[in-house]
Amino acid sequence: MTTTTYAESRWMGGTCPFAAGWKKVMMWVFIVGDALLFAGFLTGYGYARSMSSDWPVAGEVFNLGLIGLMTFVLISSSATMAAAVATASSDRAKTARFVWMTVIGGLVFLGLQAYEWTHLIGAGGRPWENPWGAALFGSYFFVITGFHGTHVLIGVLVNAATAIRTSKGITTPENVEMAGLYWHFVDLVWVFIFTLFYLI
Amino acid sequence: MSETKTANLGIYWRTWVVLLVLTAIMFFLDTLAMPRGLFVVVMLLAMMTKATLIGGIFMHLAKESMDLVVTVVVCALGFGVLLYGLSVVDAHRIYEMAQGIFVR
Repeated sequence: MTTTTYAESRWMGGTCPFAAGWKKVMMWVFIVGDALLFAGFLTGYGYARSMSSDWPVAGEVFNLGLIGLMTFVLISSSATMAAAVATASSDRAKTARFVWMTVIGGLVFLGLQAYEWTHLIGAGGRPWENPWGAALFGSYFFVITGFHGTHVLIGVLVNAATAIRTSKGITTPENVEMAGLYWHFVDLVWVFIFTLFYLI
Repeated sequence: MSETKTANLGIYWRTWVVLLVLTAIMFFLDTLAMPRGLFVVVMLLAMMTKATLIGGIFMHLAKESMDLVVTVVVCALGFGVLLYGLSVVDAHRIYEMAQGIFVR
């Protein structure tokens, strides 16, 4: 029926194989790269733990109630961000409200994490030693949750800028969606950390 | 996309509730004295279910073109993680050599 000409063929750039704008494709490329960073940390953690004979028991070191609250806050902020992306093309005021709710969720999460770190450091937990068992436990804990917390902090800043720009009407629904993709990714990483580090 | 005057948010709130329920179930199972192997398998399944929901619905992968999903999730991420898995095998070999228990 249709013959594909040279210029239209997929690998010549004549068409749009992903059916998505460049921002979204590039965002996904970034997310995959960032995901591999965390995958590397978690793989290293898994190996170190499987080779260790005195890895601390998570339930004895961590306050799992606090971790549950942090998880609740982050999942909820992801839901409000999804709502913000969904309303971005129809209702600017609503979008800004949802993004601010996400920002508040991120700040609460950071506050709870600061509390957790303070508590663990007060109890003698260090990146090079800890009173509960294998020294590497502290290394992996502070590196993995520290990198994740840094991602949350960056997300809070990006989302705050997105909220302000949405209110002023100087951003686009696509930009809100990009901020949303990043925030959901931060939530996604926490799902893995929560399960692999705190529960298993 | 153009005719959406009032966005339908129901799917996101439902996903939110499912994610919270899954998390609550994981916490509940943690309090039980389950066999270690079964516990780990159930936790990993719950984790992957949550990850799929976040990726598929919150990040819209369920609605994106299959080309994007396959390129991003299967090729880039999948093979990257596979590479880590393979490097663990090598790391272990080096560990055994260092322990002097390397068998030719």
